Amino acid sequence: MRDGDALENNPHVSRSALEAIHSQVFGWALSRCNFDHMAAEDLVQQAYVELLSGRARFDNKSSLKTFVFAIVQNLVRSRYRRLASRLRLAANLAAQPRDIAVIADEPGPRGEVWKAVYALPARQRDIIELVFCRELTIEEASSVMGVSIGTGRVHYDRAKKALRTKLADTSVTQNDRN
Amino acid sequence: MTEIDDMLRDNLQRSWRAMVDREPSGFDAVWHLAETRHMRRRCVRHAAVAAGIVTVMALVLKSGVPSDDTAYIEIAELFESTSWSAPSDALLPEREFDIYEDIPSFIESTEPVGGALL
Repeated sequence: MRDGDALENNPHVSRSALEAIHSQVFGWALSRCNFDHMAAEDLVQQAYVELLSGRARFDNKSSLKTFVFAIVQNLVRSRYRRLASRLRLAANLAAQPRDIAVIADEPGPRGEVWKAVYALPARQRDIIELVFCRELTIEEASSVMGVSIGTGRVHYDRAKKALRTKLADTSVTQNDRN
Repeated sequence: MTEIDDMLRDNLQRSWRAMVDREPSGFDAVWHLAETRHMRRRCVRHAAVAAGIVTVMALVLKSGVPSDDTAYIEIAELFESTSWSAPSDALLPEREFDIYEDIPSFIESTEPVGGALL
């Protein structure tokens, strides 16, 4: 059954459903791109192209939000892989591996809480963001990250513990609350 | 969810809002650009397929037309001389002969027997 504004190559996805989750998807893309607004816009655009072309086909096995988040995550992974291989190639040619560090030094999040989140290992950081900021369940977040729910739970618990310790050390939790 | 979880959630969400000072790009604008990109990609794909089909058709048509090399007998050559050699065709015997001089010697039936041909 197709909705009125369902996509031609993705009958279970409608334009209005995508519009409803757009800001959440954009936020997720933004944090994937180290808070670069232009890169995030490009990423979301590319995710929509995947849906329009039917290369990413939604079949109602999960929620649409989880599905689109997973597309964004996969696009970032493939882009990062390409970028990393180019950087490796450039580093090999120029024999200057320091180029790789330039990416990590780009402006990241501001604010103590997010700095603490960004100091966590990548998977812990992702699950914290997905659960606390994007309102996904641990199961959905694990699906977006492409890990089993058991692994997702482990990352979630470790991340919370680490975050609590960090925020308690800097007493940010109390300050932010006031 | 424990109280600490709720506190953490509030903190993170508040911190996120404070950190991301710009509004996300509007859905309509992003969607329009995505559609444009999708259409362009589809056009490129169709053009590539069409170019492939044209190339294949051109190759098929070209190979189907008989070239001049395959003409079996040169008419001028045939009329100017009584001898003829086959063009370079591997299936034909590489033999040249004069039909008035050579043929009687290897067709036995042309040998005269008792003053008459058989």
